[in-house]
Amino acid sequence: MATRVVCTPFSAEFPSAAFPQLLQTNRRPALAYDASTDETAYWTFIAPQGLTGALTLVVTYAMASATSGTVGFQAQVEAISDGDTVDTDSATSFDTVNNSASTTVPGTAGYIDQISITLTNADSIASGDLVRLSLNRDADGSAITDSATGDCYVLAVELRDAA
Amino acid sequence: MAVLPEPERLAVWSRWMQTNAEDCGITKAELRAAVDALDDFLDANATALNNALPQPARGALSTAQKARLLSYVTLRRWGG
Repeated sequence: MATRVVCTPFSAEFPSAAFPQLLQTNRRPALAYDASTDETAYWTFIAPQGLTGALTLVVTYAMASATSGTVGFQAQVEAISDGDTVDTDSATSFDTVNNSASTTVPGTAGYIDQISITLTNADSIASGDLVRLSLNRDADGSAITDSATGDCYVLAVELRDAA
Repeated sequence: MAVLPEPERLAVWSRWMQTNAEDCGITKAELRAAVDALDDFLDANATALNNALPQPARGALSTAQKARLLSYVTLRRWGG
């Protein structure tokens, strides 16, 4: 596997509502995903040259206070190629949601864990595409069991391919 | 007064999780059960709580003032 894109909290973009708070935990930038409301952040990048094969998203997180329970994340990909007819002024074209497994949080708040999400639905991404990545915590448990209390701090997100 | 309606209990549950900054060894479902149980207890014991107040405070204070008084005493005793 090869690391193709690294997304940090400071490079995140946010919807007009229901977004994770950008904060620092021990001076480390973090996106604080709420425990009861689904919140979403986006990252925009150009799909790197040489991108190949199945994609995996690795979410590095730590819990603000929880020491038990599980978290779940959902990722979506929007890949717009040169000549596509997506009107970026007014439309989005995210592919179907990719769910993580329901993942047990570390037993100590602040310890990191990494969740891998296989991006089965990657909007036919190709090198050079304008890509937007969406990441939300499934806090309401609509698709993934998310039972951990308190905020989940996302510290970094890595996109890997099969190279 | 009946127990809190569902949206209010959800609001309490959410608010607690948003403000809690200490290690937490329970899950969201377990926390929600605690919220429900406390609300049920307060509903069942509202009269006893009110009767614990001496006059003239019992008669002079509004319900909201008594609620704030209860929260202040509770936090002072166990709020850390």
